Amino acid sequence: MARLGMLIDLSACVGCAACAVACKMENQVPAGASRLWIREREVGTFPDLAVEFRPEQCNHCENPPCVPVCPTGASYQTEDGLVKVDSAKCIACGACVAACPYNARFINKNGYADKCTFCSHRLAKGQQPACVETCPTYARVFGDLDDPNSEIAKALKAAKRFDVLRPDQGTRPKVIYLNAPSKKGLTQEVSNS
Amino acid sequence: MTEFYGAPNTGEFWHWTNALHFVLVGLAGGMALLAAILTLRQHPERSRYVWLAAVLIVLDLFVLWAESPARWRFSHIWLFLSFQPGAPIWWGAWGLAASLAATAVLLLKRWIVPLRRIPEMVPGLVLLVGSLVALAYPGFALAINTTRPLWNNMMLFIFPITALLMVLAIALLIGSTWAKRWEVLVAVLSLALLVAYPLTLQGAAREHFNHEGLMGYGIAGLLIALAALLFRNPRWGAALGLAGAVGLRWLLVMVGQFQSPGL
Repeated sequence: MARLGMLIDLSACVGCAACAVACKMENQVPAGASRLWIREREVGTFPDLAVEFRPEQCNHCENPPCVPVCPTGASYQTEDGLVKVDSAKCIACGACVAACPYNARFINKNGYADKCTFCSHRLAKGQQPACVETCPTYARVFGDLDDPNSEIAKALKAAKRFDVLRPDQGTRPKVIYLNAPSKKGLTQEVSNS
Repeated sequence: MTEFYGAPNTGEFWHWTNALHFVLVGLAGGMALLAAILTLRQHPERSRYVWLAAVLIVLDLFVLWAESPARWRFSHIWLFLSFQPGAPIWWGAWGLAASLAATAVLLLKRWIVPLRRIPEMVPGLVLLVGSLVALAYPGFALAINTTRPLWNNMMLFIFPITALLMVLAIALLIGSTWAKRWEVLVAVLSLALLVAYPLTLQGAAREHFNHEGLMGYGIAGLLIALAALLFRNPRWGAALGLAGAVGLRWLLVMVGQFQSPGL
């Protein structure tokens, strides 16, 4: 089976948020909630400054903490490694929202946990996720991480370094970042204050 | 400085109704435990506690149903007999259901003759197991969220102990004198946990706790300390202990939704 994942090249991302808009439109994401958003941070100190535009969404973790806490089995992993929610089974208890380290889930006003699906309805038609298709700088690559001939696997193989969010959590995210502006990797919030 | 286009879903995901549930499930589980123990010991007061346990379980389930944005799927947790051992809420749901079934058998046998053939020991034991699960579940439901540092492993102790404090306080308030020494003991245990908990917090979690919850925590702690000290005036002690435990559980649920920095 495929192991679907997404690569985001931060050196190509210009923070235009076309992906966030496309996601919102494609998936009819309600106002006040997001399946995808852009985090923008300054990196470095003057005169050596850069900005990190970092799109974030569900990481479709290989070891997703949101799945085992679901009391009805509504949250599940597909054979392709997508983490999905069966809205017909979901009781909107919020356990998965609490468990997600990436703030990627929310309770939809229609009464179920909602999140990025990598546009699985588009994948079923042989299309790319809306965020990938709409990205004007081709910063996003989507595909099978296990297929050595896929574009994503080749890009990963060629990369000197790649990063994921919160690697310390052991969730093994499948949204992978390349070319973070800081040579130390992705920026991190260290304290709220 | 961090800015966003679109926003991560960092808002409160559990609201006051959920905090109320975390109080009610403690009352329901704790009362079911008292009812189970009294039933197994054939205590003359057992019937009153079985009634109380049943009412509290029904009330808790009603609150959950009423606050749920998925009311018509609420029964799915039991309906399809799904087995989700990694989900504390699954355990809690079945613990409450088993307890409610046991209380129903104990209460209905007065009117339904065939139920009298079941020895009280059987529903008593079911009630004991169900109540222990219901007592333990809230702590697990919080502590399982490893990126929410205020809900650390201390929750596994604080939630069952404060549940016992609440129900023993109620037992005292309704005139069960046997609860007095237990209530004082549990108040002292709760107080020890209250003192220890802030010491287990570090960095941003401690900062957030000090900023958002310290005053409430202090008031809850004071009430519980008075409950432990007022053993000569048990009804006042019970009332204060009940208020302190309710406030503490409420506060931990609401303030604890803080996500650890790192993104």
